Amino acid sequence: MSNIAVNKKQQKSYANLAAIVCLAFIAAMYFLSNHAPATILNNPKLQIFKTIFLSIIMETMPFLWIGVFISALLHVFVSDQAMKKMIPKNPVLGILTASVLGIVFPLCECGMVPAIRRLINKGMPLYVATTFILVGPILNPIVFWSTFTAFRGRPEIAYGRMGLAFAVALAVGLIIYRFVHTNQLRVQVHAHGHSAVNQHDHEHHSHENKLVAVMGHAISEFFDMGKFIVFGAFLVGMLQTFVSQDNLVSLGQGQGSANALMMGLGFILSLCSTSDAFVAQSFVTTFSTGSLIAFMVFGPMMNLKGLLMMSAVFKTRFVLLLSALVVVLVYAGTLLLQYFFLK
Amino acid sequence: MSRRSSELLHHLVRAVILTGFAGLMFNLMVSGDMLLYIAPHLMIYAQLATAFLVIATGFQYYIAVASMKRKVVVCNCDHEHGHNHSHDSDHNDSSRSSWRSSAVYVVFIVPLLFGAFLPNDALAGSLAQKKGMNLGRAAMVGKPSSADFVEIDGDEDPALKEQFKTNVYNKDYAKLGMLLYKQDLIEMKDDWFIEKLQALNTFVNNFQGKQIRISGFVYREEGLTGTQFIIGRMAMTHCIADISPYGIIAESLDAEQYANDTWITVTGTIGQAIYHEQTVIKLNIESIEPASPAKIPYVYPDWNFAAKL
Repeated sequence: MSNIAVNKKQQKSYANLAAIVCLAFIAAMYFLSNHAPATILNNPKLQIFKTIFLSIIMETMPFLWIGVFISALLHVFVSDQAMKKMIPKNPVLGILTASVLGIVFPLCECGMVPAIRRLINKGMPLYVATTFILVGPILNPIVFWSTFTAFRGRPEIAYGRMGLAFAVALAVGLIIYRFVHTNQLRVQVHAHGHSAVNQHDHEHHSHENKLVAVMGHAISEFFDMGKFIVFGAFLVGMLQTFVSQDNLVSLGQGQGSANALMMGLGFILSLCSTSDAFVAQSFVTTFSTGSLIAFMVFGPMMNLKGLLMMSAVFKTRFVLLLSALVVVLVYAGTLLLQYFFLK
Repeated sequence: MSRRSSELLHHLVRAVILTGFAGLMFNLMVSGDMLLYIAPHLMIYAQLATAFLVIATGFQYYIAVASMKRKVVVCNCDHEHGHNHSHDSDHNDSSRSSWRSSAVYVVFIVPLLFGAFLPNDALAGSLAQKKGMNLGRAAMVGKPSSADFVEIDGDEDPALKEQFKTNVYNKDYAKLGMLLYKQDLIEMKDDWFIEKLQALNTFVNNFQGKQIRISGFVYREEGLTGTQFIIGRMAMTHCIADISPYGIIAESLDAEQYANDTWITVTGTIGQAIYHEQTVIKLNIESIEPASPAKIPYVYPDWNFAAKL
């Protein structure tokens, strides 16, 4: 019981933080506009911010809806027992299945996270789910093709990206299988609609309102996940507007620092895994191949937007553990790759 | 506030936000301004999202109305906590937590306000400063020996094929390069802007002295001389977040009279310059005309250009 209360508080504090930041921004805009209303609205920075902010939301919206619909359908139509039967008992087999699942379901993380939350709720082991979250956005045909095309002259980059993503996800999956055994889901507590009066509605969904149930769950989850996407888009927009990529790039050109720097850039930019190869391509003259792969492997696995979404699903400590593992493994992996394969 | 009316309010707020998003997206679709935010090949997904939003809005109003009559239509729970959830704790802070959960909706209202009150404009070249300009790329890193070079297939003039010899992976650019080579005037239009730029920069020597015409915005950065600027275009893969500027260095004695971000059409001959330790093409300007940007001023990479050659 106390556990639930704690989680509830955490969940709220995230939402509150997001709300406060947004409110502060609006307030700032309001006060600034009192001085010179026309100039603030025509400020090019504001225009850039607004365009990036809305653009990310518009781009994510369809995939978010697909994700929440899959989740709602799973919730209403697939029983926990049926779900459990579909998951391989052998952990290594489970992790391998999760790694190649992305080839069959090429979903980006915006659609994946809501679906994954439902799957874990229905009994999918944590290590399988984690592997899928990490590798799904990378190890799929669309991403391979776009990377291969972006680096037409350098096919080893596409292979390196796929291979490293697979290796990192496999390692993380195994580590989680070995060391994490407790439930890591952030328990969802809804502040409304839960009282003794409606307890009976809870057990079943009668036949005629299954459609309403699916839609209701989808909408509910849309708001649940959506706030993180909007907040993430807000932060990404701010960073892209005010932090110059060029200055960042000039920070690290050394062997090891370039890899770390490109990982940071991937984190901040929060690009879709299908489009980041073309952005990486623009760095080809200034950065080493290893650091480009670091950008294209780390970015889809861990980025600002995705991290916020994951924190909606998992406990904060687990998200931190996962981030730490991915940071270390990707960094080490790219150094190894550089040393052995990309001469 | 009673539990029932607070729940109704909560459903109505959701319905209003969904209406807002549906309206925003629908408006962008109808006006065509959606293309200022996402690439054309994602339009089908945006249409899908708009349809989802319209349907969801309808259902949300239905749920709101139904919640007035019955206690609850949809339980908002996961099975996980449904069982160990105690009711008295819920009662105690129900009014406070419903306030808190409404604070979350502010997050959704921010993008709606931005969408409603700020104009939809294309981003100008000023963003290039943040992104770093691309003048084509090193097609061959590590300079493979000429033994690795292959001629492309086809029934082209053998002398031409010899000239456009390259490694296996650049064959598509060689093909495009030969196509461009045979033109009297190379026009850098929206289609294949990036691909043409890559082809030109892969075979800089072959194109020396050729006529070229390009439209774009004026952009300057450190390292260029006073008589130089870059004519750039913004390339979008998915959305504004991944936008990157591509361009050509242009040189003219009266370069200084053209301000940054103005759109011009330039005709001239191709020369070469060194940019970031790399040989790239340069445009020696012969004539400059003012131009106006298209409503959607972006260019898009074509993954599959080789198949269309």
